[in-house]
Amino acid sequence: MASDYSPLILVLATSSCAYPGADEVGKAHLEYSPNIHVVRVPSPVLFPTDFYLRCYMRGVDGILIASCGSDCPYTSAYEKLAKRIDALTTLMKEGGLEMERVRLTAICTVCIKAFLKEVGQMEEQLRPLGPVDRAKAEALWEKAIKELEEQAHTKAA
Amino acid sequence: MEPEKDEEAPKIGVYVCRCGGNISDVVDVERVAKTIAEMEGVAISKVHTFMCSDPGQSMIVEDIKKESLNRVVVASCSPFLHELTFRNAVQRGGLNPYLYDHVNIREQGSWAHKSDPEGATAKAIRLIAAGVEKVKHAEPLERIRLSNHQRALVLGGGAAGMKAALELARRGIPAVIIDKNAELGGHIKEWGKLFPTDEDGQTLAARLRSEVEAEKDIEVIAPAKVTKISGFVGNYDVAFERLGEGGKPGEEAKLTVGAIIVATGFEPYRPAEGEFGYRKTPRVMTMPEFIAWAGSQPNGRLTLDGREVRRVGFLHCVGSRQIEGVHKPQPDGRVNTYCSRVCCSTVLNQAVQVRKRFPSVSVLDFHQDIRSYGRGHEDYYIEASNRGVAFFRYHGDEPPEVATDAEGLVRLRMKDYLTWGEEIEASMDVLVLAVGMTPSPIGDLIDMLKLATGHDRFLQEVHPKLRPVESSVNGVFLAGTAQAPMTLEEALCSAGAAAAKAAALLGSEYVEVDPFVARVDEAKCTGCERCVEECAYSGAIVMVEKETEGGGKVKKAEVNAGLCAGCGACVAVCPTRAIDLRGWSLKEFDSMVDGLVSAAERLAAK
Repeated sequence: MASDYSPLILVLATSSCAYPGADEVGKAHLEYSPNIHVVRVPSPVLFPTDFYLRCYMRGVDGILIASCGSDCPYTSAYEKLAKRIDALTTLMKEGGLEMERVRLTAICTVCIKAFLKEVGQMEEQLRPLGPVDRAKAEALWEKAIKELEEQAHTKAA
Repeated sequence: MEPEKDEEAPKIGVYVCRCGGNISDVVDVERVAKTIAEMEGVAISKVHTFMCSDPGQSMIVEDIKKESLNRVVVASCSPFLHELTFRNAVQRGGLNPYLYDHVNIREQGSWAHKSDPEGATAKAIRLIAAGVEKVKHAEPLERIRLSNHQRALVLGGGAAGMKAALELARRGIPAVIIDKNAELGGHIKEWGKLFPTDEDGQTLAARLRSEVEAEKDIEVIAPAKVTKISGFVGNYDVAFERLGEGGKPGEEAKLTVGAIIVATGFEPYRPAEGEFGYRKTPRVMTMPEFIAWAGSQPNGRLTLDGREVRRVGFLHCVGSRQIEGVHKPQPDGRVNTYCSRVCCSTVLNQAVQVRKRFPSVSVLDFHQDIRSYGRGHEDYYIEASNRGVAFFRYHGDEPPEVATDAEGLVRLRMKDYLTWGEEIEASMDVLVLAVGMTPSPIGDLIDMLKLATGHDRFLQEVHPKLRPVESSVNGVFLAGTAQAPMTLEEALCSAGAAAAKAAALLGSEYVEVDPFVARVDEAKCTGCERCVEECAYSGAIVMVEKETEGGGKVKKAEVNAGLCAGCGACVAVCPTRAIDLRGWSLKEFDSMVDGLVSAAERLAAK
């Protein structure tokens, strides 16, 4: 099992930078593992913490967030995203999920080498960890949903 | 997640494209379609050789009607190429165009996993399964209508820019030309007789200029420099600076346009010092330098440095068709691998002119290949041969060596493959480097407009065949050599096409933009204001007082679609999930993950 285990990876790729960047890799006929799935998003800033936890709960082994970095077309979205991922990793650490399962990076529209490097490294750092602990992820997800419910009837700070 | 309310059962049509082998040579598309057909909600699952072809699109339109499909998924190339194509097909079938999902199994499938057909096939199944689950939650959306500024900005007043502005004005669309130089005309005004008509470049430029001046719907702002561009299709705010003497910044001003045509042109390749003897001796000159110098000489006798010129050599492919490891890389580390397309015919044209004007001067031509591909271009080759031009052919990986001899003449050594590799050495009074084209330095503009560039650094179109003059930015078009090396005819043709595209866009009083903005489910909104606090766009989300059924008053969030940028920052902070991005809802993303993971599990179990 261990030797041919190939982690299931999601790449949340921005529509204006990282997604076309991933297309460029294909256009150049350069290869990476087919277990790496690129999902197009306007900006990953839209995902709440529980989205990531739900992914792990469902069996996704790792999530690479491929943002636009400083090229982000949306005002202050990258800063907000970075904060969110910070909060997520803290939560994961507390709940016993390996922090290596999430990674924030920036990929530009022509960053072929950066894309290959990032997905390659992600795969390398996930392989020794083995499949994600879905029960731990579920516990964390439930906690996050509960927190949301508590927030629902309080005003913004 | 709660169940869907009164939604009709999904009847999804899935179409898997072979892309003429681009996909099906690697991905087993028949197996993919068969596996997907077993998914709940999938009514039909088919394969076609070219989904984007008319028959492919018609199949979707007919199936929607015949099989009463209510959702469509196409698995083919990148969504940047054909998402719009298939949305339009879905609409022609009578469905809302947003009840569609596009799955990329070429750029991120067959092409990226060429040596792993099994892995690529399984991945295609997982990605399409994700698309199928996502499209089940897709909602009909209406495009947003915004006012359109029916005026175009043309960046660059060379031949292509002037042509584009003229075409627009003649269709009743006002155009503004901004150029960094005081006099319009770009490069052609510096050239003499142009192939294939022998028309004079300066005369042609002057003719275009006088037509532009006579056109009341064209405003020329030159010399000037664009400093900032913001906005979107139909509504681009452009800040520019008029330039004073010596390019000094002057008065600043602003204008608003609906579309932008980028006609910033090219720069002739500048050889490095010492490249084929350039700048080591005044006897080695670039093609533009030669044209300027020879043009200023009286017919009959040609002299340089007080010495009669008896022999002129032309060296092809300088700065073009470079080979990594053979040629020195450019400052950005790349070599110019592309063919500049105009240099061969230019050399033949100039060689003929030298022979006509200065009959005592003999002409040598050193080439890798001669690409006289355009209509009428071959005539120059025939005439050059008839007039005694001597041709020599080198191999690309053995570029000629150039040195200066004791008399100060240019000495060129190369292996000639027209004589089966014989070493030849020729001395000449003048060696002309037929330099290629490089893109104008428009880094600022590329950043401002977020334009895509190719590996050759030229601007890139959406699709080389199907959308050849559109940039990936909505409302921004490409004209002339800003896009790639072109002859003057080709540049003017592209300018006309860009103008037609811009005119079609600007003919309407409004533009429609994608409806991917935030929306609030009032029933779920508790008025906590977290979204307002998170939003970076002033006025995009506001709190509005609403009456409740009981007669009381509550505050609810409301989105202003015209101001919302669609980033989704508000979505993540809403504790009741009352806010979503249209077309990119959290439920759609959750379903994609579910579809992908379930397919992975099913595949692993087999």
